[in-house]
Amino acid sequence: MDASSLDKARLQSLLEEEKRKAMANEMVAKITDVCWDKCITGSIGSSFSRGEASCLSNCAKRFAEVSMLTIQRFKSTE
Amino acid sequence: MDSFSSSPSMGSSSSSGVSTEALMDQIKTQLAQAYAQEFLETVGNKCFAKCVTKPGTSLSGSESSCISRCVDRYIEATGIIGRALFSSPR
Repeated sequence: MDASSLDKARLQSLLEEEKRKAMANEMVAKITDVCWDKCITGSIGSSFSRGEASCLSNCAKRFAEVSMLTIQRFKSTE
Repeated sequence: MDSFSSSPSMGSSSSSGVSTEALMDQIKTQLAQAYAQEFLETVGNKCFAKCVTKPGTSLSGSESSCISRCVDRYIEATGIIGRALFSSPR
């Protein structure tokens, strides 16, 4: 490989990594949005109750599970 | 949000003369700014909805402190979600 091909390959892989990080941040932001609405229903305190904290954590995992299931289900109908 | 990672060795230049490091720094900065902007907009919307139920001619003391707590809680919630999704499973 010549120097500029190496540069391009390296840049490509750096960009891929930034893209992965950005997509992960986006997913966390979207799920936080949804789960905040589902779990933080009362007034805002100076800390989360244990119920609120576990609701948020469960909500995130269930959301990820549902996302996967919908893709699988969709694929099975093709 | 992640911090910059920089290679200790000298940067390589493309044929146009812009180093890969400089380009990546620019891209990371712009990504971070776009993320921060979106985050602030979301938090503002959520906390307005939670704390300002009957808008008056100014924000009351309790509305202001609710907003402060709400921002803290939303940041905390983001951390909880991030760990729930990306920490090692049970």
